[in-house]
Amino acid sequence: MWPYYKFEFYQFITNKKNIAIYVLLLFFSCYYALKIAPTYDPIEKVDESEIEARFLTREEFLNTVVINDGTHHFTRFAAAIFPEWNVYDKGRLDAIKQNDLKEYAEATNKWYGYSDKMIFTRGNGVLFYHPRYYTFGNNYATMDGHYAYLYSASRYKGYAEGNSKLSINVFEERTALQTLQRLLHSYLPFILIVSCIFFTVDIVLKDRRYPTLLQGLPLSDWKKLIVKGAVSLIGSIGALVPLSVGLLIIGIQSGFGDFNLPVPIYFSAEKTFSNILLGEYILQNMLIMIFWFLFMISLLLLASVTLKNEFANLLVGCAFVIGELTYFGRGNGIFWDVQWYPTSYVQVGQVLSGYRNYLYNSEALTIVNGLFVMGLCTGIFLFFTFLISNHRKFKLL
Amino acid sequence: MMELKNIGVRFSGRDVLKDVSVMFHSGEIIGLVAPNGTGKSTLMNVIMNYINPNSGKVILNDELEYTNKKNEVKIHQLVSMMPDQSDLYNQISGKEHLKIYSSMWNSQPKLIDETIKELGMSSYINKNTGTYSLGMRQRLCFAMQIVSDTQVMLMDEVMNGLDPTHVELISQILVKKKSEGKTVIVASHLLENLEKYADRIFFMKNGELIQVNDISPGFDVREITTVRVTDVTDTLKENFLKEFPKTNVQTLPNGTTLIDVQGYGSGELGNVLAFLKANHITEVNFGKVTLGDLYSMYYQEG
Repeated sequence: MWPYYKFEFYQFITNKKNIAIYVLLLFFSCYYALKIAPTYDPIEKVDESEIEARFLTREEFLNTVVINDGTHHFTRFAAAIFPEWNVYDKGRLDAIKQNDLKEYAEATNKWYGYSDKMIFTRGNGVLFYHPRYYTFGNNYATMDGHYAYLYSASRYKGYAEGNSKLSINVFEERTALQTLQRLLHSYLPFILIVSCIFFTVDIVLKDRRYPTLLQGLPLSDWKKLIVKGAVSLIGSIGALVPLSVGLLIIGIQSGFGDFNLPVPIYFSAEKTFSNILLGEYILQNMLIMIFWFLFMISLLLLASVTLKNEFANLLVGCAFVIGELTYFGRGNGIFWDVQWYPTSYVQVGQVLSGYRNYLYNSEALTIVNGLFVMGLCTGIFLFFTFLISNHRKFKLL
Repeated sequence: MMELKNIGVRFSGRDVLKDVSVMFHSGEIIGLVAPNGTGKSTLMNVIMNYINPNSGKVILNDELEYTNKKNEVKIHQLVSMMPDQSDLYNQISGKEHLKIYSSMWNSQPKLIDETIKELGMSSYINKNTGTYSLGMRQRLCFAMQIVSDTQVMLMDEVMNGLDPTHVELISQILVKKKSEGKTVIVASHLLENLEKYADRIFFMKNGELIQVNDISPGFDVREITTVRVTDVTDTLKENFLKEFPKTNVQTLPNGTTLIDVQGYGSGELGNVLAFLKANHITEVNFGKVTLGDLYSMYYQEG
């Protein structure tokens, strides 16, 4: 099998389409690092002037307000909640001025915790999250703000308790590893899965161009398919290489961050966040990504031996990537067991961070369920591929 | 040793192979001769199990049949078919092709260099096959099968695109492979060449495999049985038959006239030659019926 693997791998890396994909990924990666990443503008950023403006306004209010029987209840409410709020904002301001980032993290953790408690539970339509959550058409702005504030509280708690070197870039999640984390939370899984689809759609059917050379090789069709799958898996993992060039550039620009930085994970049962290490989070993402690759490769191997058409393979693969759009809706997890659909795990980073559970209002989109569902599907696809390829009359080409 | 037992293949209601049964032995070169589209390649594809026959089976060494995929792999370890030159990977070198085949069949690596030397491919073997001429590609395909070093070798149109020197070179290698105990099955249109080294030659017609000896008994006997003459007119033929009434004369569609002189002594042969000379016939050949004659007789008549 080894000689066939080497031959197949050689074909893979010299395949013009595959080279084009790697080049595109490299281009995308560099473009992102040089053009998009520097313009990243997080809502929850370290903005001294904003903190100061808020602090001074509230301080002025607290210094001048007179509470008596005729005071409006909103004024009373403000006078009651602003002092503690301002303590945290003052703490943040002092920490920034002294460049005490640990202190800043601690104060910010408290600030986010207190802010969310006030806005979410006692807001009464007068307290709001950051205005950028309230964009046109977003009916879930409060929920988004609630998630983001709790996420930030947990994150800053992690910074305060951890041993990582802190910086503004770390706070704003601009370092290379944190950018990777953010990308895993957004469209990086799509890019990797779609790349895997493009690598695999023709890995079986390309051999039709060389039938007399390959048909008589003394290797069973099943083993050939397994080798092809293995090559595709290695090639798909290899897609990380051009992408890492972009991370290297970001690292040089904004620092690399470190693997001990905290990543808040949402636990929907308790409706709380708990931190895990960034290294652990990335490893979990890689594990799920590998399961996605295995899922996609086994699916496309099965499609290759049944449909025998590259375009059909592409459609089948893409259908699984975008399948979630057909049933996704906030809160749908209450009505449907979305955790049993492999397509529910396509947003890998969001699943692992618990954000997907938050959106679906579910508790079941977990790494264990994801591995189980995708592993089971992969097993089923491979089982049918095994049966078909071992049929006496089956011809691979 | 390979046996084909009652092989039948039908395409669109037409019998391409009809109940073909034959045994191929070790240390034997088998020639397959037939016009295009008469089933030579189909037969080879059935032997390789690229095509499932409608009936019959292929048996290798009295034990292996294509009953399951495991057996198919075992048979493919022992039986190989020469690849088509149009299927070569243009972006990789000839040597890489040879290495792939050698490693896939786990044959002796030294066979690669030996074959390159034997076929005179050293000057271009490290270049990408995309730069090869038809003859170079054909030689590479042949070399690939040689390095696979299987017990049974199937070669479809092995001499295509080769110059006479390389036809002769490959013929010699085939004879060498035969002496090593290989079974070599060659489909070729180079009849004269095939006739030289093939131990048995089969014609294919109407889905049947017919050994040449069955069409022309004594085909492989080494004695003068036929006088081959060209440019014989009908009048001359009539005069000849008047002079030699007991002699069989047959004019083939290719214009050659065959005079059957089987069992003739030197005196009778001398008379025939004298008659032809007297009638100004200068192209005379004493020998036996050639494969070309039989081909013309079998395929071009009526």
